Amino acid sequence: METASERSGGKPVKILVFACRWCGGIGAERAGWKRADLPASFRVIPVECAALVEPDAVFRALAAGIDGVAVLGCHVGGCRYDEANHAALKRMELLKVLLDTVGIGGERLCLAFGTAHEDHQFAAVMGDFHRLLQGMPPLAPWTGGGDEDSPRSVGT
Amino acid sequence: MTKTVVLLCNCFGEIGGVLPLEEIAGKLRESGDGLSVHVLPSLCMDQDAERMGTLLRDEGADSVVAGGCPSPARRETLRRALGNAGIDPARCAHVDLREGCAWIHRNDPAGAARKAADLLAMGLASLEERGASSDVWTEVRPECLVIGAGPAGLAAASALARRGVTTHLVERSAQAGGMMNLLSRVYPGNEDGKSRIAPGLRELEENPRIVFHPRSRVLSVKGFAGDFKVLVQTADGPLHLRTGAVVVATGAGVFLPAKMYRYGELKQVITLMELERQWIRGIGDRKRFVFIQCVGARCPERPYCSTICCPSSLKNAVRVMEEIPGGEATVLHRDIMTPGAVLERYYRKAMETGVRFVRFREDAPPEVTGSETVEGVRFRDAAGGKAWALPADAVVLATPLVPGMDNRSLKDLLGIELDGHGFFAETYPLHPLETRMDGIFIAGSARWPVSSEQAAAQGEGAAVKALGILGQGRVSALSLSRVPGRKLGHGRVEDGSCTGCGNCVAVCPFLACSLQDTGNGRLVSRVNKMRCKACGNCVSVCPNGTMQIPEHNYRMVGAMIRKAFSE
Amino acid sequence: MKEIRDMSRELLERQAVDGVLGLRRGAYDIVEPHVFRDPGETSLLVTEPKWPLAKTAMKVLRDAPEGFRLAVVARGCDERALSELAKRNQVRDRNLRIIGVACTEARAKECLCDRPYPREIHGGTQEPGVDPFEDPRVRALLEGDSRERMNRWASLLRRCIKCYGCRNACPICVCVPCKLEDEIWVEKGSIPAEMLVFHLIRAFHLSDTCVACGACQEACPVFIPLLSLQLAMRRTLKEEYGYEPGMERDRRSPVLRNIFEEPGTRKSVPAWVSSGEHEHD
Repeated sequence: METASERSGGKPVKILVFACRWCGGIGAERAGWKRADLPASFRVIPVECAALVEPDAVFRALAAGIDGVAVLGCHVGGCRYDEANHAALKRMELLKVLLDTVGIGGERLCLAFGTAHEDHQFAAVMGDFHRLLQGMPPLAPWTGGGDEDSPRSVGT
Repeated sequence: MTKTVVLLCNCFGEIGGVLPLEEIAGKLRESGDGLSVHVLPSLCMDQDAERMGTLLRDEGADSVVAGGCPSPARRETLRRALGNAGIDPARCAHVDLREGCAWIHRNDPAGAARKAADLLAMGLASLEERGASSDVWTEVRPECLVIGAGPAGLAAASALARRGVTTHLVERSAQAGGMMNLLSRVYPGNEDGKSRIAPGLRELEENPRIVFHPRSRVLSVKGFAGDFKVLVQTADGPLHLRTGAVVVATGAGVFLPAKMYRYGELKQVITLMELERQWIRGIGDRKRFVFIQCVGARCPERPYCSTICCPSSLKNAVRVMEEIPGGEATVLHRDIMTPGAVLERYYRKAMETGVRFVRFREDAPPEVTGSETVEGVRFRDAAGGKAWALPADAVVLATPLVPGMDNRSLKDLLGIELDGHGFFAETYPLHPLETRMDGIFIAGSARWPVSSEQAAAQGEGAAVKALGILGQGRVSALSLSRVPGRKLGHGRVEDGSCTGCGNCVAVCPFLACSLQDTGNGRLVSRVNKMRCKACGNCVSVCPNGTMQIPEHNYRMVGAMIRKAFSE
Repeated sequence: MKEIRDMSRELLERQAVDGVLGLRRGAYDIVEPHVFRDPGETSLLVTEPKWPLAKTAMKVLRDAPEGFRLAVVARGCDERALSELAKRNQVRDRNLRIIGVACTEARAKECLCDRPYPREIHGGTQEPGVDPFEDPRVRALLEGDSRERMNRWASLLRRCIKCYGCRNACPICVCVPCKLEDEIWVEKGSIPAEMLVFHLIRAFHLSDTCVACGACQEACPVFIPLLSLQLAMRRTLKEEYGYEPGMERDRRSPVLRNIFEEPGTRKSVPAWVSSGEHEHD
């Protein structure tokens, strides 16, 4: 496979993954056992449950120059904390709508609620997400935001 | 002044073969002031525990970042090492450099090296910002509450009482036994319902540890595992109890097939339960019985199989053949469900005694004919498609068990959930007989339609689970984890900033949050640490970051995000 | 508006309420919010211009003595906002009474409001609402090529001078302290606001509670169309759950509830099933 993180345009893809301790994390581990070949573009922050992923952390990640955020949780109905992931899933889906609204693209938030003990699924999700982000334009117009910008002007 | 030591595992070359560990260690030493980094061949061998312990003690470490594999075996040795060195296990950050790095990025060593460095930086950052939840302890009340005195409840109460636990058995009706009181015979043997549960009934009578409350209802259950505060309305007035655990064994109801197969309209169209009563009172001179299965079951409104109706019909059909001279029994079915060896033998026996079995299609159900009383049944055989008309003296409808009438109010009282069909929901996966509330267990048909022997087995199982809590003198909130080991932490409210919006209360799956009046009209959220499972929903819906789990607070996440990609 | 003045006077005369919150035209024709106590004063009550009073009502009730009964001259959006505030325990709506004012068609068009009237109308006539998605400016912001839209939104939000006017004007934004003033999330001294963080955090916090009153964009000194940030999420909530913030006093956001209680368009909770479209090797 082509060297990991390159994207057309030169800058490497950066992905932040929140993986729940159960389905998400175990799926990731199993991908390792199977020696799946994955791009080194993602970093994992383990969380107890997908419900622990604050929406604001997603915005924070995108603002820090990360191209996409993946939230991996258990199947709806299979969460170790009962219905905790129901609200999490609904919340994340609404977040996608907001990202779509402003043109950042809901695709930059990858939700895999169902990455169970299925290593092939983790590998597939990460591989697909990486390729998707490779094809997307950088978020620079958004993350630039500082004094070095051109003078503010009121108008369309 | 914290002293952090970083331990990097070579894993006998599994990690070191891909990642340039010495280089990574060197960069780390340069970056952190006085950061001590060691590359070790392994972290999981027996001798490693002592070796690491010595190393950490000599360096005066109080925090550790361990980069290696995520295997629990390795964590065990590390835990021992930390114990040797007197380091709190919560002050150890585990970084996955093998499954999550070396093994999946073999073909990109440069990328893997960068990633490893980033992951370790994230681990260090997480240690800096990680907080610690305070624990609370509760004295465990030694008594147990069992709701329902059917086969499941009796078995639970017996099992508990025999182990020395005072058990309050609350029963709605005047006598124990539940549905067993209504059965003239229980399959596959020849005993009646009461005889089947005779051991339980005897225990009830003889063992002073079972306190039986007939004609009583549970009015409220508050509190948490280890200390439930229960109010029971008994025949002699209200009773306040404090118990360490609760077993719900309230059984199920039986579906009434109103207007199906002309039930209620035509005489001699009866249900299986009515047939039981008639065996007791006298079967009369009826000879020809037709049983219809799956009445009101395995249909859109109740898309499940109720487990016991086929064996019950078989039992009654065999009885018709054996006890009624000239008796005829025909079973019209969609499928015959008789799992296991005993029930399979029973099925064959039924065939041998001459019971007839005809399969019909779901979309072509039989028709009962007759003007005032049953005259016959018309049906179409699914195999050949042939239409039949069979004369009959009685039509017996096999109906499913349905959720008990009190389930809705009981669930609110206890704070547990019902599943999509209305039975009490078991917490899923891997936690049989448990509900979302610690300390509240379910057994028998309250949980799912089962036979009386399965109900008894579940009752014992629930009792054993209850003993898991009752057997401890004190229990700590952090130990009440859904999973082996310690809970991550608890939700914590920053008192001054809570707006009292109640989002956390609405979203918590364990009803652990509640709003309390601070006195001047301001409402502030409070977390019940015994119930909290640290799932994090409350944190994610809190509008201004007031609610946090100290072990995974937003500063920590923010710091980890900043360190995630060094370039 | 005569009916509103009459009703306010009448309520105060027969002491059905202790005060009426509305707009008063005082000296030099200056209009400002005022709690009318004296029935005679109500001759000075006016109902224009549009002035969102929900937040003011909340503050009045908070500072007033226990048991103070307040009537509020409220438009549709005020009533919805008060409903949302009541759900979040910011307003004791036992002691609150709505004097309903329906907005004119012109006002509805300006606010792109799809429900320009409260539940009970005491003044004005009920006009049909406007579908914001029909407005070409809104469509330009919410439909079409995402790259173009990203640039368009970026250039709009780049005007932001971080005056916090949107947050201050919004009737739902009541948190003290506010996350947007926390250094961890929003850097101090950086103008324009880190757009991603400031505006998207604020927009998402309101995702299931924005009542589309438009106070945010009316307050914005650089004319950022802030209301349009919320419209797609509002539409999703309506289509998936039949939920509109502010319309049902006793129903909390479906996003907070589990799928058994608020399934939305999801048919059922699957039991433990295997998923994933990819095959095993």
